[in-house]
Amino acid sequence: MSENLLEIKDLYVNAEEKEILKGINLKINKGEIHVIMGPNGSGKSTTANAILNNPEYKKEKGKIIFGDEDITNLKTDEIARKGIFMSFQLPEEIPGVSVTNFLKYAKNKSTGKPVKIFEFREELKKYMEELNMNSKNMERSLNVGFSGGEKKKNEILQLLVLNPKLAILDETDSGLDVDAIKTVSKGIEMFKNDENGVLIITHNTKILSSLKADYVHVLVDGRIVKTGTQELAKEIEENGYSQYK
Amino acid sequence: MITVNETPVRTARNFNINNVKLDELEIQEEIMPFNNFKINNNSVLSSENVSNSNLIYGLGDKLENQVKVNSNKKVKIVINKNYAEPIELEFELDENNSNLVENIEIIAEENKKADVIIKYKSNNIDNLYHNGIIRVFAKKDSCIDISVVNLLNENANNFISIENELEENAKINYCIVDFGGKNSITNYYSNLKGNCSENKINCIYLGKENQLFDLNYIGELHGEKTNINIEVQGALKDSAKKKFKGTIDFKRGSKKSKGNENEFCMLLSDTAKSLALPMLLCDEEDVEGNHSSAAGKVDNKQLFYIMSRGFDYKEAMKLIVKARFNKILESIKDAKLKNEIIYEIDNRLD
Amino acid sequence: MSKSNIEEINRNIYDIKNKDEYDFKIKKGLTPEIIKEISKQKNDPEWMKEFRLKALDVYNKLELPTWGPDLSELNMDDIATYVKPKTGLSNSWEDVPEDIKDTFDKLGIPEAEKTSLAGVGAQYDSEVVYHSMKEELIKQGVIYTDMETAVREYPDLVKEHFMKCVPVNDHKFVALHGAVWSGGSFVYVPKGVKVDIPLQSYFRLNSPESGQFEHTLIIVDEGASLHFIEGCSAPKYNKVNLHAGCVELYVKDNAYLRYSTIENWSKNMLNLNTKKAIVGKNAKMDWVSGSFGSKISMLYPMSILNGENSKTEFTGISFAGKGQNLDNGFKVVHNAPNTSSLVNAKSISKNGGTCTYRSLVRVNENAKNSKCSVSCESLMLDDISKSDTIPTSDIRTDEIEFSHEAKIGKISDKTIFYLMSRGISEEDAKAMIVRGFAYPISKELPVEYAVEMNNLINLELEGAIG
Repeated sequence: MSENLLEIKDLYVNAEEKEILKGINLKINKGEIHVIMGPNGSGKSTTANAILNNPEYKKEKGKIIFGDEDITNLKTDEIARKGIFMSFQLPEEIPGVSVTNFLKYAKNKSTGKPVKIFEFREELKKYMEELNMNSKNMERSLNVGFSGGEKKKNEILQLLVLNPKLAILDETDSGLDVDAIKTVSKGIEMFKNDENGVLIITHNTKILSSLKADYVHVLVDGRIVKTGTQELAKEIEENGYSQYK
Repeated sequence: MITVNETPVRTARNFNINNVKLDELEIQEEIMPFNNFKINNNSVLSSENVSNSNLIYGLGDKLENQVKVNSNKKVKIVINKNYAEPIELEFELDENNSNLVENIEIIAEENKKADVIIKYKSNNIDNLYHNGIIRVFAKKDSCIDISVVNLLNENANNFISIENELEENAKINYCIVDFGGKNSITNYYSNLKGNCSENKINCIYLGKENQLFDLNYIGELHGEKTNINIEVQGALKDSAKKKFKGTIDFKRGSKKSKGNENEFCMLLSDTAKSLALPMLLCDEEDVEGNHSSAAGKVDNKQLFYIMSRGFDYKEAMKLIVKARFNKILESIKDAKLKNEIIYEIDNRLD
Repeated sequence: MSKSNIEEINRNIYDIKNKDEYDFKIKKGLTPEIIKEISKQKNDPEWMKEFRLKALDVYNKLELPTWGPDLSELNMDDIATYVKPKTGLSNSWEDVPEDIKDTFDKLGIPEAEKTSLAGVGAQYDSEVVYHSMKEELIKQGVIYTDMETAVREYPDLVKEHFMKCVPVNDHKFVALHGAVWSGGSFVYVPKGVKVDIPLQSYFRLNSPESGQFEHTLIIVDEGASLHFIEGCSAPKYNKVNLHAGCVELYVKDNAYLRYSTIENWSKNMLNLNTKKAIVGKNAKMDWVSGSFGSKISMLYPMSILNGENSKTEFTGISFAGKGQNLDNGFKVVHNAPNTSSLVNAKSISKNGGTCTYRSLVRVNENAKNSKCSVSCESLMLDDISKSDTIPTSDIRTDEIEFSHEAKIGKISDKTIFYLMSRGISEEDAKAMIVRGFAYPISKELPVEYAVEMNNLINLELEGAIG
């Protein structure tokens, strides 16, 4: 496999028959943290959903290459098993399926190997401690009755357990208090290494105070209008997006 | 004895809710003329014949035929422009106009808007009788608000059949105020035929003494992305009895449609009786249907709180009932009508 | 649950057809002569014979229900109401004929008996072929036997309770049951005795064009407690079979009874079963019910809360597939102060199947300070199926808290996408959501049965999803 992790080529995407993405190009290499910033409705979440091929978003044009494989039209679960993980802005609640069972099953699917229950539980416990999560949540139904913060932490827990090659974090920092953002950043740091990549999607810069990005892209009206370094994020924090509109 | 107001789907007979049996009622064949009708805007009246087609549900053949054959008042309204002021129809029953058998048809033309108030009033004499049909046809993109207000006395017999058909994007909002009648029997049917059509029904009823309310509301969703919302709030005191049947029927093809139904009955005495049958019928996968139904007495904590502010029991009770009805009362745009209804609540709960 | 586990299920275990061998099979149809012949075959005491004949009279007078699924295909002239298997009753599996034992083996009954049950009864066609209970329960005075033995050996207890909770004129199929009943279990738990491990009766109908009419009578005396499990299945034939059993439960003051059912009749079965419990002061009755089989099911277990402070809970699921019309629900009557009921009903419809939740909540004048809370949820797995919710409430007093909630809908696309984004296939994601949906019911069952229920769900989902 090359150094190249993900490459998006000239991607056009429609949602509910409206053109949202109008020619996105993006390249992520191993070991890099990328941030996509942009105002509400600019197409940030659409980008994440398009990578995972959410059937509600229709790709009109363009390609998505993962490693050296074209994943543009693969099914969501196949893409996930190739090693792309997405942390959801609004994680779904699944009654009757416990966090443990769900993760065990998902892990089994992603590695293709049977999961050893005892070791798995220990691993889960360890991560939960690191993320300041109540270990009682292990037996609760997935996301059901979880607070906003608990849901987001649960997404990071899944990230650590499934250990993908590329993590896409869609507004993982939104709606969280300072402590929770620190915990989430800690989780991302625990995950990050030279072999994997991270794509953070956010509309504010809070998470960048405790995490260093290699590239910052500004997405406005379905196009990346500027790419820069962490400095660019600072500038946006001060001046907003209006100059790019 | 006649049996009226059958539900669209039967359940066990001993649940006593499939229909209502009225022992003492006889259907009169001869109906005296009715001359106490007022309308505030004659320009909406049409000289064409009022529809006499068969109702899909209705209250049963006998009552339906009476209107078809023997009606003593026919009103056809065509809404072919937008009206800012409500169109008010008022029927007042008294000694000389003790029977009202009316046939009303309202047609809202494409893209037109109007607010229609249909009010039934009476003085306090016995043996008043009302049996009416209200048909509403809402064409494409029309929007019509209809208030049906039954303020008859508590000894009248009151029968109303409402039937609506909605074309694409049409909206009908109902406010049904059901206060009068020894027997007050309503059949309500809406056919949400057109895609994206919407039907909202807000109903309040108030029962006292030996009043019987039988409400049979049916919404059929045929079009895609249609929406129906039924909200029923009521209070029963003395030995009043209410049967509420509310059916939301998702027909095959009604993809992405939504139906909601809420019913709450406040019991103000331990001899009041509340029966309910909120039905969800579903032939389509991609829909969302919810219903809830509840009954209970006035919250003692609330009552105590209000009384601690110097209100007596009766006043406190009235306040709580009005608070419960508030959301629906607020939806009545016409201030004069709203005040009249609030006055009636106070009066009838005295 | 892993994929391999799903593959291991042998869908044929419920469908094993043994040869239609019997000691005696009554002529098809219903006449006083046939009833007398059944009575003779069963060595009934005189009172029972009279009872049967009276019930037949009532049957002939009553109409078919005017509501619910269409029962017109049922022709009693085509149904043999009594099929006596070619064996007597034993208390050792060794004595049960090989093919019958083999069937129960495959259904896992003797194995469950060893590991997780305090007693087992097994009925094959019209008669109970096996009944046994752990020694220590016998010592505590617990009675667990087939209904015929009970009629003979405990006539007073039986006479006092038999078809008193469910009277013969309740409806047409109860009257039919009264006329032709055969088999079933009788349980008596003496005052204060707590039976910690469940008892289970399993009902198997093998014979084609026949009916099963077992009678289950359970008396949990004051302060006693019991968990009773009922299982049922049958192989599929082309013509209809009929099941019109009757379950009468007496939960006396301060007693507790949990009655769990996993019903997996074959899809040619008309399941017109009647179950009712009378619940005494401070007593509690819990129903757990999984309904998977049958062509038509009309089943509405009922709790009558006659004692002050009595409680009942109903937790049930119906799963209707192709050609199935499952009209199930629950009835409760609050007949005393401070009573409470809690209902959690779910249904799943797929592949053209119809699920109906039909219910009654009645709170009588004297049931002051009572509470009732009902929650229904229906899942539609495709757009050719049907799901109806028809709940009646009848509230006759003001000092109550009553609430009913129902929801209907499909599995959300968003939820499926969420699971797929974790590497789970669409098919597995749907199965996972459905099992999760059913979890509130499966968690109420003993582990083996919860596994069986999940297996049934997986079985039902195969081919339906993807």
